[in-house]
Amino acid sequence: MHHSARPFLAALSLGAAFLAAACQPGDGAGRDGVRIAYVSNGVDPFWDVAAAGARAAEAEFGVDVEVVFPSPATAEVQRQKVQDLLVRGVDAVAISPVDAENMTPFLDSLTDRVHLITHDSDAPKSKRRCFIGVDNYEAGRACGELLVEALPDGGEVAIFVGRLEQDNARLRRQGVIDALLGRSSDATRSDAVDAALSGNGFTVVATRTDDFDAARAKSNVEDTLVKYPELAGVAGLFAYNAPACVEALKGAGRLGEVAIASFDEQDATLDGIAAGHVLGTVSQNPFQYGYESVRILKALCEGDESVLPAGGTLSTPPTVVKKDNLEAFRTKLEADIAAGSGK
Amino acid sequence: MTESGSASAARSDASSRLAGWGKVLGIFGLLVAIVVTTGAMNPRFFGAENLENVLQRTALFGIIGIGAAFPIVTAGIDLSIGSVIALVATSLPLLLDAGVPAGAAVVVVLLLAAGLGVIHGLLITRLGLQPFVVTLCGLLVYRGVARYIVDDQTMGFGSNHDGLRSLATGRPFSIGALDVPAPALVLVAVAVLAAVFLGRSVWGRWMLALGRNPVAARYAGVPVERVTILAYVICSLLAGVGGVLFALDVNSVQPASMGNFYELYAIAAAVLGGCSLRGGEGSILGVVLGAAVMRLLYNSIVLLGIPSQLEFAIVGGVLLLGAIADEVVRRLAEARRARERARARTERTT
Repeated sequence: MHHSARPFLAALSLGAAFLAAACQPGDGAGRDGVRIAYVSNGVDPFWDVAAAGARAAEAEFGVDVEVVFPSPATAEVQRQKVQDLLVRGVDAVAISPVDAENMTPFLDSLTDRVHLITHDSDAPKSKRRCFIGVDNYEAGRACGELLVEALPDGGEVAIFVGRLEQDNARLRRQGVIDALLGRSSDATRSDAVDAALSGNGFTVVATRTDDFDAARAKSNVEDTLVKYPELAGVAGLFAYNAPACVEALKGAGRLGEVAIASFDEQDATLDGIAAGHVLGTVSQNPFQYGYESVRILKALCEGDESVLPAGGTLSTPPTVVKKDNLEAFRTKLEADIAAGSGK
Repeated sequence: MTESGSASAARSDASSRLAGWGKVLGIFGLLVAIVVTTGAMNPRFFGAENLENVLQRTALFGIIGIGAAFPIVTAGIDLSIGSVIALVATSLPLLLDAGVPAGAAVVVVLLLAAGLGVIHGLLITRLGLQPFVVTLCGLLVYRGVARYIVDDQTMGFGSNHDGLRSLATGRPFSIGALDVPAPALVLVAVAVLAAVFLGRSVWGRWMLALGRNPVAARYAGVPVERVTILAYVICSLLAGVGGVLFALDVNSVQPASMGNFYELYAIAAAVLGGCSLRGGEGSILGVVLGAAVMRLLYNSIVLLGIPSQLEFAIVGGVLLLGAIADEVVRRLAEARRARERARARTERTT
């Protein structure tokens, strides 16, 4: 008796806890109107800014937006999240597919039931209505140009990134390399990780990945500094990479000796720009990802196709943030986030 | 009968202690092999800067590895280490932002970590749940709580709290050109305390006895429940210490990824260092060497310019080779001893 009651009681208390967690304010269930799901490819401060954009559009256009950050950021988790959202009855989905190639059949299966667009990272072969995002190759080139500008005599450069499986990481890396070596723009180029790359006075000595582990990101930089004592510059391709470079250089007592070019707008990166330790950063305007996604999906739900961009791609231009435009950028970023949270 | 029994017990105790030392020697040999190989191929390995880096990382992972060793010694396991690190690492900046003084904030998060250990221990001893289940649920719960309390925001200390951060980034004194990292001192303190506790104190002996044979330990009057709870408290507390130091070191805590898989690094360090997953065996020095071997491997992969993609293959391959070599040497030594014993017997009979 005692033993048979235990699992039952455990299940009951778990269920109660679950219900309590589910009945939170801010849950859109029960409201009428268009329901839009905004799905990221993981958890990152970058996505907080994008979510703020989606929230701002939610208030402006009078729709319900559900923001979902899949974690861990795998294709399988992302798929399950979207399936659950369908069950909950969303009308439209904006997604940044983790694995564009292999998720295409799944994405196509969604288009019968919901309006589907991609943002941040595209699935060009799918039946998604459009893609909203930055041109990652050109953004990579902009990041590389920061180093070219700061290092007129060239030198050794190392690249740090979370992982290279994602399209945006590959394209950014290629953009950085092509800008450093003074090559023409060609987003289809693809240099192997262990290829010897030099030209234009620059040598790309290494590309190191860290699987999103902050401690590894830092230790990769430290070890690279030891292996290449002449290192002139580093490029951090994911948001946390440049802050890791700053910490590693600080620990080695070499802040300011090695030029840092960055992506995205983490606080530590912006502080680094203000202090002169980071050359600059390439911002993808994530707020626009969220805002534009909701705007376009709302119109599609109401049968308005005129919002679809020509060619199926809405390119948000990257913003290069340096010391001179830092304050303006920060002010706008804070206003954007405030607009998103004050729904 | 009694005499020969106790004599054979003493012999088996001595031989198991010898086997323990053999494991430590084995992992030390692997460490020397990695150091010599990497140093020969890239002399910068021996530069002060690199040695400081390796010391720093060995200290951070060594501390959580020592923690992981305690439940393992009792034939248990703690899978929640990485999530305890995440929870502590997100709570610390949160408390500091709320205006809590640095010292108090550190004490609070360490008490929090120790409290989690108490909960693990109580669930395992009083309710009889399996350690694997309890700490696996801990892994999930603490990760979720860490993400929730800061709403998935990246936490850090900005450019404030440099005094507190020097606990992790400081270099309090130098030996020649080598500036000794502060966490290395923490590791030495933790390791000495842990080694004395496990090898010399009554409670440490009880812990080993409990791991070797829980029924016998209970009959021998060992307070099994309290000893078990203590093992989980030590583990969570040291995970908390690790969490504080990791957070102060990297200054960028992403609650969704901070400390992911670190329980495996900690458990690997403990097992490489001679802790048997069956319990009852463990050497703190071995755990520290095990942590050092793991960090040296990652370090040498970058110094030797091996592509990142091969990283796990290299680490796994070298560790496996080390384990195989250790076992082969042990068997050769055993066979030689057996031959000597046989020879001694035949000499006596003739």
